[in-house]
Amino acid sequence: MEFFIDGVPMQAEDGQTVIQAARANGVDIPHFCWHPELSVPGNCRICMVEVEQEKGDPWFDIACNMPVTEGMRVLLHSEKIVRLRKQTMQFITLNHPVDCGICNKSGECTLQDFHYAHNGQASLSRDAKTHATKFFPLSDRIMLDNERCIMCTLCVRFTNEVSQSKALCAVNRGDHALIRPAEDANFDNDQYSDNVIDLCPVGALLSRQLLDHARVWYLQPTRSVCPGCERGCSIDIWHRKPEWALRALDPRLNTRIDRVTPHENPEVNGLWVCNKARDLAALFERPRATQATLGGAATDLATATASAARLIAAARHPVALVSSWGSNEELAAFATALAPHVQPFVKADHLPLPGEVVEDHLLIKPDKNPNRRAALALFPALPGTLAEAITPQTDLVLVWGEGFDGSAVPAGARVIRLDAYADPVQAQADVFIPVSIQTERSGHYTNFAGVVSPFTACFAPAAGIAHAEELFRAIGLALAPAVAGALTGPAA
Amino acid sequence: MTWWERAYLPEILRGLGITTGIFLRNMAKWVTGRRGAVTTYYPEEKRADFAPRNRGKHILTQRPDGSPQCIACNMCATVCPAKVIEIEAGFDANDPQHPKYPVRFEIDYSRCVFCGLCIEACPEDAIRMEQDVPSLVAGDRWAMWLTMDEMLTWNPKQDVAKPYPPKPARPAPGEGAPGGRGPSTH
Ligand code: SF4
Ligand code: SF4
Ligand code: SF4
Ligand code: SF4
Ligand code: FES
Repeated sequence: MEFFIDGVPMQAEDGQTVIQAARANGVDIPHFCWHPELSVPGNCRICMVEVEQEKGDPWFDIACNMPVTEGMRVLLHSEKIVRLRKQTMQFITLNHPVDCGICNKSGECTLQDFHYAHNGQASLSRDAKTHATKFFPLSDRIMLDNERCIMCTLCVRFTNEVSQSKALCAVNRGDHALIRPAEDANFDNDQYSDNVIDLCPVGALLSRQLLDHARVWYLQPTRSVCPGCERGCSIDIWHRKPEWALRALDPRLNTRIDRVTPHENPEVNGLWVCNKARDLAALFERPRATQATLGGAATDLATATASAARLIAAARHPVALVSSWGSNEELAAFATALAPHVQPFVKADHLPLPGEVVEDHLLIKPDKNPNRRAALALFPALPGTLAEAITPQTDLVLVWGEGFDGSAVPAGARVIRLDAYADPVQAQADVFIPVSIQTERSGHYTNFAGVVSPFTACFAPAAGIAHAEELFRAIGLALAPAVAGALTGPAA
Repeated sequence: MTWWERAYLPEILRGLGITTGIFLRNMAKWVTGRRGAVTTYYPEEKRADFAPRNRGKHILTQRPDGSPQCIACNMCATVCPAKVIEIEAGFDANDPQHPKYPVRFEIDYSRCVFCGLCIEACPEDAIRMEQDVPSLVAGDRWAMWLTMDEMLTWNPKQDVAKPYPPKPARPAPGEGAPGGRGPSTH
């Protein structure tokens, strides 16, 4: 059906509210409490619009809860609406502390933006502001600043409708209203709790990890994929912009993951991610392996690559354990360059941790590896008992990635390891080559449903770290003449 | 040139006479404790005739209890055209009046252009520039970073422009601040 916004004709579907129809037509109506995926409480009133009538006075209603009707004429910028919005902003900021200088949301704050867009005036109130709890620990991960809260209840509705933990509620009324944990629930148990930090339009819900350490305008997002489980949620990894690189302070701050937010992807994760994605910094920033070794002695990458090729060429029953954290590109390179020379099996790099939620109603999937499906499409899975894959005849085991302790390797067999993180077993390998991690390379993962998502490099790898994809090609090149020339050892 | 000038020696003697005269005059003033030639014994001595609004060395102002007034908001660092201010923030939830404070605050004097924009941007009057020009002599560029302890060694009692009010008492829980915080300026 047709309707009008400020006199411009637009198309709307049956049952759409004004705010939805306007967004579908590229017009943004200011809103705090409305969210496309949550119910409509209509409590902030900033989305108020004027509707012109054929005859009689115009009337006013909130765009988030008013269905579009045929021929409706909506005004967003009439004199009355402009004044109304200004007064609404005055009201919402009545008890707001406006401590933007130290607020984590500053730079992304809707309240700040709307103040400049729709109000821009000092408070007219002569009364003292109502004070409230400044830093209330809502959970181990989240701190609540009640003074900044504007009671939009987005967080409460999120825990009721999306994460379904029902962990938050609102207590008291008027300017004494507070967000509080619900009595019979524990917000710590909500696997999606960190989404409320993004959801909160102001800096009331604060991530304890990020608390006041970085200002958002110093950070940039890089599109990536969460490797936490086979869902492979699309995420943005935020890190310091190169033009704001620090010189005097710790240079590691320049290559640190400051925060992780969901990247909207309707095919995979919609608008949310679970807390495991938020903790990727801890996963990726574990101590790294940086030195290629031959039997524990340091060597350079070229020598290690050549030695690995020589060992593979010399082996009679080589077995390879393929990482289920490799990208599609790396797996393809492995399939063309190495698979003809070794017997590959796909291993699980990560298993669910004790106490970890294995599967739930929303996103979390049981397999804790991002790319097992793509790996299984190319290579067979590791059999239930390792002994079926690694038999006493096996004289070479190539281990790519984590999750294999090496005790099953028969005595006398040679071991080649490719890994990104430091691990004492690497010193026992005949050849060890350090490889790059997901934040240092670009590629794609295929999730459990077959959806392919890209990830992009955020940082450059340190010198002496190889990209597995290039490594496989190099080994493959060295191997081809070696096998054809009946082990004459050209790589030596 | 006249023949007198071309004779050379008399002019040399005249020049020596002028030099000796000035030397003796200054010497006499110096011996009697007055100021002679306008010479500054740099770097021990600083010039006394800087303009009152000269933009020199950065200082961080302090609260009456001696803590830096800076709230580590990074406004100065953001506005700085040379991008030479680096601040590491700390957070203390037990001090709700001033939860955020600088742990490290450094300015790279090898690249600062003394534009004063950082001072303009600060919402807290926490950073200022002294009249005196800093000593910009250093063996290498890393020694030219001005650190927080150096910026805090300035004695606020001598600063007439900044009245240091006593720190307001924290309101007891449940009781509003005396007089409130006043209407916001935004
Ligand atoms: S929530 Fe927004 S307006 Fe309020 S202090 Fe933070 S940045 Fe400023
Ligand atoms: S904490 Fe944030 S999301 Fe929750 S009600 Fe307050 S302003 Fe809204
Ligand atoms: S004076 Fe100018 S260049 Fe120097 S630190 Fe301040 S803003 Fe930066
Ligand atoms: S602008 Fe002022 S308060 Fe903010 S960080 Fe700089 S000196 Fe500190
Ligand atoms: S967005 Fe419509 S009332 Fe809040």
